[in-house]
Parts: sequence; C-alpha cells; structure tokens
Amino acid sequence: MIDGLTTTIQLASLAMAVWCLISAFRGQPMFVPHLIGIGVLWLLLLGQGVVSGLLMANGEQPAERVVFIGYLATVILLPPACAVWGFMERSRWGPAVIAFACFILPVLMVRLEQTWSPALA
Amino acid sequence: MPENPATRSGPGRLLVAVYALFALAATARATVQILTRFEEAPLAYLLSALAGGVYIVATVGIARADRTSHRVAAVSCTVELLGVLIIGALSLLDPAAFPDDTVWSRFGSGYFFIPLVLPVLGLLWLRHVERLGRTRVSGAVTGESS
Repeated sequence: MIDGLTTTIQLASLAMAVWCLISAFRGQPMFVPHLIGIGVLWLLLLGQGVVSGLLMANGEQPAERVVFIGYLATVILLPPACAVWGFMERSRWGPAVIAFACFILPVLMVRLEQTWSPALA
Repeated sequence: MPENPATRSGPGRLLVAVYALFALAATARATVQILTRFEEAPLAYLLSALAGGVYIVATVGIARADRTSHRVAAVSCTVELLGVLIIGALSLLDPAAFPDDTVWSRFGSGYFFIPLVLPVLGLLWLRHVERLGRTRVSGAVTGESS
C-alpha cells in the first residue's frame, strides 16, 4: 500500500463519480470517455494491488491478511463490473450505477487502508 | 408489442447494483468474522450472516422479472426493514449485547444509513413495478374491448 496512490485513487474515483452523475442527470448512457476513465481508475487500482503484492512478498504483512486480500479483490473487480453494467444498461442509469460505485470506492479504500495497518483507523 | 415489466432496466438496475454490493459486503464480512473470531460476538456475527442472506434473496428477487420473485423480494425487503429497525433500536438500548457491529447496528450508521433506506426504496420500487404491470394488463383489456 502506498498512501499517495490511495489518495490519488480516491480523488480520481470521486471525480469519476461526479462526472457520471452529471452524465446521468443529462440523460446520457455510458460513452467511450467514461470507459477510458474507468480504465484509468482500474490501472491505478491494479498498481496498488501489484505494489501490495510485492510488499507482501518482501515480508511486509497486512494486519488482517485475509480481509485485506478480500477488499483488494473487491476494489479491483469494481471497475470491470462498472463497465459491464454500463454496456448492459444503455440509458442514463448506466452512469448512475458507475457513479454509485465510484462514491463507494473511496470508502472501500479507507477500509483497505485500515486492514493494512490498523493504526490509520 | 408486449413489454416485460421494466424491473431490470432503468432505476431498477441501479437498485439491483446497490443490493448486490450490500449482499456481497454483508456476507463476506460475516463469513470472515464467523471463521476467524466467532466467540467474540456470536450474536452480532450471526445477525450479519442473516442480513447477508436476506440481501442476496432480495437482490435476486428484484433482478428477476416474474411476480413470484417480486413477492419474495417484497418479503425480504420487509424483513430487512424490520431487522434494521429492531436491531438498530436494540443496539442503542443494550450496546453490551453487540460487542461488535452488524450491518444493522445503530440503524446502519456504519454504512451511511444505506441499510435503513434500501428496503424502503426496494418496497417502493416493487410497488411501482406492480402498478405498472397492472395498468398494462387493464390497458390491454380495454384496448381489446374498444
């Protein structure tokens, strides 16, 4: 876990959430720019996953290992799930679902941080 | 052109997404808690597991389009609402009985009160869909008679 990366992910996710909310209010379905945004978010999350994996391989252990891996898997699966949902629902409710997920993601990142080192709780 | 009741599209799909996330969160959390430290707060963890199960049933019930599924979903939404109200009240009146939080503790304050709002939205949505279906049926009948 790199703190700076977590903060970046949280800010990117919130920006994405606001953008998708605006799209939902304007009645737009998910377009290619949204997909690119989801892709960027996903790459950031994958980066955090890889870094955490390397740190764990080098002996640094999360405080709650199983829970940490569970949360990490969930947050990494969230952007692809968003994309699938956006393809299924070709209306304003596609971006609405993505907005909801992107509002939840920063919270999940906080929980992820806590399971890595409870001192941050 | 007969249309299927629009439960799975539009706002219904958002509801299903939120429900699915909650089903995942509650069951995953309860599973870990029961497997790793069941003896600390057995009541709280069993309640979390129950809540997770109810969320799964509600998710599937809302996602499916037929009336039986909707009835099942309505029942599980009602159970959720009662659960969050009763457990929420109990956790405030007798905190000692809940050493660790459940999804429903303090009316779901640990989850932004979404557990309190979700069953209400679920029930409203199911009622909306039910009405939509009924007007469509009666519309078809009057359409034939005229």
